[in-house]
Amino acid sequence: MTALLSMDRITGGYGDADILQDVSMHVDENEIVVIVGPNGAGKSTAMKSVFGLLTIRGGRMLFDGDDITGWAPNRIVQRGICYVPQVDNIFREMSIHENLEMGGFLKKGDLSAAYDRVYTLFPDLKERRKTLAGALSGGQRQMVAMGRALMLDPKLLLLDEPTAGLSPRYMEQIFQISRDVRDTGVAILLVEQHAKQALAFADRGYVLAAGKNRHEGSGADLLADREVAEMFLGG
Amino acid sequence: MDFLELINFYVIPGIVLGSIYALGAVGITLVFAILRYAHLAHGDLATLGAFIALAVVTGLGVSPLVALPIAIIATAAVAVGIDKVFYEHLRERPKIVTVMASLGIALMIRAVVQVVWGVDTETYSRGIVRPENYFGLRIRDREILTVIAMIALVGGLQLFLTRSKWGKAMRAMSDNPNLALLSGIDNKKVVMLTWVIVGGLCAASGVFLGLNTELKSMMGWQMLLPMFAAAILGGVGRIEGAVLGGLVVGIAEELSVLVIPSEYKAAMAFAILLFMLLVRPTGLLKGKVL
Repeated sequence: MTALLSMDRITGGYGDADILQDVSMHVDENEIVVIVGPNGAGKSTAMKSVFGLLTIRGGRMLFDGDDITGWAPNRIVQRGICYVPQVDNIFREMSIHENLEMGGFLKKGDLSAAYDRVYTLFPDLKERRKTLAGALSGGQRQMVAMGRALMLDPKLLLLDEPTAGLSPRYMEQIFQISRDVRDTGVAILLVEQHAKQALAFADRGYVLAAGKNRHEGSGADLLADREVAEMFLGG
Repeated sequence: MDFLELINFYVIPGIVLGSIYALGAVGITLVFAILRYAHLAHGDLATLGAFIALAVVTGLGVSPLVALPIAIIATAAVAVGIDKVFYEHLRERPKIVTVMASLGIALMIRAVVQVVWGVDTETYSRGIVRPENYFGLRIRDREILTVIAMIALVGGLQLFLTRSKWGKAMRAMSDNPNLALLSGIDNKKVVMLTWVIVGGLCAASGVFLGLNTELKSMMGWQMLLPMFAAAILGGVGRIEGAVLGGLVVGIAEELSVLVIPSEYKAAMAFAILLFMLLVRPTGLLKGKVL
């Protein structure tokens, strides 16, 4: 079986500097894959490379049978990958419902099935659909951000540190929602600062360090690995 | 001076002037919110709109009101053209470059107006219009028309921004441009749409200024400062704020004559602008910080 997304020896960065060096990863269908690593390891950069947000100087990016290396973000969105940035990931002065509508902007025709899907995943949002997104708490904002990204029915969802700055209670909730999203047939690739919790919840993980692949394996294996633990998990 | 006199000679003209400023200020606030620069050719676009309407009025012998939609469409087209030919190439440069370019555009538009229509004062219709008397309030028809047209145009715009898909896309672009692009919203279309609306509003403010006073090649340029004061007073990016700001500046200008010589009327806008930037730079309705 071929992977949904496969990143093959990607080298690239912003401007002239190469932040990623020969990074390879893959995400299968219906899988949650987490990228962890110390600060400055290139975790977010690796994810942004999937979405066409940096200059790729080497390697290939394959998605669902297409070579998407060097595609512009809007083309990648239409192909079925949606991206939730870490910060500024909602339209603050628009209502929850309008945020979702903007998420489905590229979709032709009726959006009601997409609204239903998102509101089923996030019942809290349905109740407050007229509320301005900027007035919500951190955890709810993250739900709006994920909801916006799910409106186009992506096959792969990219989440950049979805639990940054959230309380443990919301962190659990976001992880639970990510599982629910995965169960609707959407694969998820996420970057996490909270490595322990993320590896415990993800199907598989990659450890990056200094822009290179360091370890990979199932979440449980990585958690049990002594070198990984010593490197940055705090023993 | 009694109360009615105050209303008739200062407040009503202030509301009319304020409505004219409001039409311009809404455009300024839209450009600020979506394109993120101060557009200095705004006043001269209004002048152009007023003179296009004059050409229609004299050429076809119709009333300025019939000429208004034609002026709106023509000025909107000119605004889109200016963006395509000049501003679009400066999009990736620091915003101050576009601000200075818009100053150049202002001078160009004014020069064209002066070449085509001359530098003399013109009017849409000759003769003096006497105000009607409504329970002691003395109001001219054109004054009622100005206020109603402002409310209708801004109200229509507000509906467009809150109800239609592309109007919401404009708000999204103003709110969070990066996320708007990630959502697949077409930046170029939003920019073009913005110029259509801004150009149209400019023309309307120019036509109503001409209708209530007279047409001069400097008319729009002289409105620029009060329009900016109104936009900043209301809060940058706030449509309803720009209307409120326009009315406050207009009324303040007219009332200022009671305490300072009328030659200094224009200084009121400047004073309001300075005061707001010092005290509350986000404006009355909490807009973006510049």
